[in-house]
Amino acid sequence: MPEIVLECQGVIHHFGQSRILHDINLRVVKGEIVSLVGPSGCGKSTLLRAILGTHPPREGEILVNGIPTRGPGRDRGIVYQRYSLFPFLTAQQNVALGLLFDQSSLVDRFIKYFVWRKARKKQLEEAAVVLQKLGLEHALHLYPHEMSGGMCQRVAIAQAIIMKPQILLLDEPFGALDEATREELQKMLLTFYAENVAAVSNGGQPPYTIILVTHELNEAIYVADRVVALSQYWDWRGKGFESFPGATIVYDQMAPAFAPTDEIDHAQFLEQRTEIRTAAFDPNYRQERDQFNKFWGQVQGKGEGVLKR
Amino acid sequence: MGFLSIVMLVAAYFYLSHRQHVKNPDDTTIPSLSQLKDGIRKITTPNRRSKEIWLLEDLKATGMRLALGLSVGIIFGVILGLVMGCFAAGEALLFFLMSFASKLNPMAMLAVFFVMVGTDMEMYVAMIAFGVLPTFAQTIHLAAKYDVAEELIHKAYTLGATHVEVILSVILRQILPRILDSIRLQIGPALVYLIAAEMAVGHVGFGYRIRIEYRILNMNVVYPYIVTLALFGYAADYGLRLIQRRLFPWYGR
Repeated sequence: MPEIVLECQGVIHHFGQSRILHDINLRVVKGEIVSLVGPSGCGKSTLLRAILGTHPPREGEILVNGIPTRGPGRDRGIVYQRYSLFPFLTAQQNVALGLLFDQSSLVDRFIKYFVWRKARKKQLEEAAVVLQKLGLEHALHLYPHEMSGGMCQRVAIAQAIIMKPQILLLDEPFGALDEATREELQKMLLTFYAENVAAVSNGGQPPYTIILVTHELNEAIYVADRVVALSQYWDWRGKGFESFPGATIVYDQMAPAFAPTDEIDHAQFLEQRTEIRTAAFDPNYRQERDQFNKFWGQVQGKGEGVLKR
Repeated sequence: MGFLSIVMLVAAYFYLSHRQHVKNPDDTTIPSLSQLKDGIRKITTPNRRSKEIWLLEDLKATGMRLALGLSVGIIFGVILGLVMGCFAAGEALLFFLMSFASKLNPMAMLAVFFVMVGTDMEMYVAMIAFGVLPTFAQTIHLAAKYDVAEELIHKAYTLGATHVEVILSVILRQILPRILDSIRLQIGPALVYLIAAEMAVGHVGFGYRIRIEYRILNMNVVYPYIVTLALFGYAADYGLRLIQRRLFPWYGR
């Protein structure tokens, strides 16, 4: 049985009278890259923020490794589309910031200053290694305003993964980037996935579990091994509701796993893309909500990549 | 162009001075160059009776009062501003008080300080601190509350920061250049309060010397003091801008 790292149990969210999310049940396996898609206003980002802990659910519970979440914490990393880096720190300092918080207290930094300086040097070296791995060895001492959008997002991802979070949340991280940079970063996610697969095949723990919110369906299918779609277009009247109770998961299926070196042919995503469009984006198609939720059935015995367990 | 405007100002001054001296050769209200030279010599050489160099003594006294008063005002302003900007309870408790205090004129409070702490250094420090603190705290409050994106604060928590670390390592660090901006803006008002107080009750300092000398129409001493004050304010402002550019190269980008 694959290890469940994140579990949303009956999550309901609303802002006053405005119903956003209804009965979200989602289990994410360690090592998965899950794409979260859906029409505008369906609550993708709200669900992500609920998982992050900044907008806790009104009802239901979110568990990370079986522990209920209470506010943002060290076990979940986040990369936003904007405000991805601390403007007053260089790339290297940004990446090492988490290590600073994690490995020393404020008091230690004053009282044991010289011991801390030595540890800090190591932290900065560690940050440099991660940045080097992501191809940013030339940008160590650049401030965010001196870097391109793509470089900033790479640094932001480095900043999150250096902390080895249980789950990394990406909120439309490539939304503001040009096509070429976007492709580069998509390949970076595929590299992470390849590391996960390698770790699983060697009997180890996959290092990266990622939830990616995106509005780009090709990207969702290409970089993830699972696509989850939220939608407000589902047959809630058929379920006995008199008013709209909120968006819910209407599509949950595996996506083909790619290696970073594979050539992309968006045509091969056509069938799945059409199915997602029908399930989540067509306001006239009011489906039975579990019609396209086949993920766990698909996994049984024929899971690919990190799900081949 | 900036230099040209100074030249024009100086030229206009000496033209007026010349006209005044044509009418009255003994005039001291708009001193001539030679009168100004005498005045400058008087304030930069040891006094016959006290053996003190006036300009140096006054600069020391005024500078010390300003530095101490501003320091106290800034330190408490930053603390109160952060408390208001980072904690809802702090904002609820202090917001009205700071808004009200910022409307009180410190010069009008001179009598209160005079009675409470006397006329020594404590009075000047208290008056400057009281004058700059509320406005300063309000600026820090707004910067702490609105200048740092909520996303960055959330991110800091995911990186393992504690509440105190978020305040000191994220919010304070990001608003430090704004604090320097506020200090620059507060130097002017602080000097106004200080000079006014020195004029009223001082025994040494720029305000005191200007009061004593203008009473006997020694404007050849008053004008150099005024120019020195302006240069002092400009140098402080320039120095802070330089520090801001050096320490916070990311600010404003």
